[in-house]
Amino acid sequence: MRQIKQRGAQNPAVSFAVLAQPVPSPSFEQKLRRLARSHFEDRSRRRGLLVAFEGPDGSGKTTQRKLFKTWLKSDGYNVVTTKWNSSELIRPIIKSRKAIRVLSPLEFSLLHAADFRHRVENVVLPALWDGKLVIADRFLFTGLARDVARGLDFDQVLKLYQPLLWPDLVFYFSVSARTSRERIAATRTPTFYEAGQDITDIDEPTASYERFITRVIREYESLALIFRFITVDAEQSIHDQHQEIRRLFREGEQRPWSDWNLDAIVEWLAIRDAQA
Amino acid sequence: MTRNGSALISIDGVNAHALKNAARKVATANRRHRAGVSTWGASGIFDELTFADSEAGVPSMRTLLLLYAADLAFRLRWEIGPALDEGRLVIAAPYVATPIALGQAAGLDAQWLADIFHFAPPASEHHVIDPAPAKPLSQRQGFVEFAWRHLDTRLSGLTRLELMDRTRHHLRASAQRSRSSGASR
Repeated sequence: MRQIKQRGAQNPAVSFAVLAQPVPSPSFEQKLRRLARSHFEDRSRRRGLLVAFEGPDGSGKTTQRKLFKTWLKSDGYNVVTTKWNSSELIRPIIKSRKAIRVLSPLEFSLLHAADFRHRVENVVLPALWDGKLVIADRFLFTGLARDVARGLDFDQVLKLYQPLLWPDLVFYFSVSARTSRERIAATRTPTFYEAGQDITDIDEPTASYERFITRVIREYESLALIFRFITVDAEQSIHDQHQEIRRLFREGEQRPWSDWNLDAIVEWLAIRDAQA
Repeated sequence: MTRNGSALISIDGVNAHALKNAARKVATANRRHRAGVSTWGASGIFDELTFADSEAGVPSMRTLLLLYAADLAFRLRWEIGPALDEGRLVIAAPYVATPIALGQAAGLDAQWLADIFHFAPPASEHHVIDPAPAKPLSQRQGFVEFAWRHLDTRLSGLTRLELMDRTRHHLRASAQRSRSSGASR
């Protein structure tokens, strides 16, 4: 490696003394860790909870999410919803590129990870800190399942989402590829990327969708095992699913705070502190 | 140089004017290899960010670097890769060392930074240029300047000069590491 020096371009006024000070300093980071722990372990108030709804398109997640939200609100919860690919900053960038079909699987993955990070920092973590219940209509597992189904490496994709923020509960709505395809086809034609046409080389969107969603479901099922999702049989009636979700939520909401999320929270607290 | 005569040369630094000049010099010296320059922002992502609604918020350094990675993936697919396939010499200015140094300057984990750019092929030659940043109102902004001016002025809690200094420090350190290990990236 060579270093090119521009003659006369060096600015002697520039000081490098500040470099000895890391950002954030270890003591500051320790302080933020203590603050995060005491905040989330405080049992005198309702702590923020993150509940993710995951599953293939057509699995009925959105219907169940709405019913769940209504029920939670009637029970006194302060509820915030966040949807996949919905950051006001990044979504327009993704949308314009999807419209002209120019995204490679890698670009698709990176842009969705950026959208996710922006929502985590601006929607999810502020709400959790305020003791709200956040319902995520799709979470990072959607990115993992779709990107790996597009041929990307699981470990590499997971790294894009670091520091990881794990939900307190993940409901996985399980349906077969055929049910998913039939439910989608009954109302609309899947879009180009939804149908995975960027990787299947199948011209007919519904046929491509079934091929692609089969791969996505396979990835979801692996994730459900690894990360211990709560699987909901999404072929049941809407009423039965809702009752089951209520029951499972009541069992799961008492889970204690876990240090797994500390890195993500500390980074956000440092950003918040700098903004203040 | 590879068998078909193609080569990727990376030039990194915080001063856009100096980067441009260095890239031009290398291109001129390699005219017979049909040298071309690839610079950041080719995908238009950062132009769109600049015009985003103020209500949409600003990205953190981590988000910004994911966007740089997406932009670099675009450059590799549409500019760098095809030119290398044609046996040409490509000068990427900046390439991966600049965003990695910027991320380190803002306190992000070096391993994470290396991981998000794992897809970028190593350059056969790597140069770091080290002049101070341009004046803040320069028309031709570098990526680090852009990060500071438009997006991330508050998020890392650093002044502009501190961020530039730290980034330059990490660039020098990366150049030194590469020199001592003989690595080409």
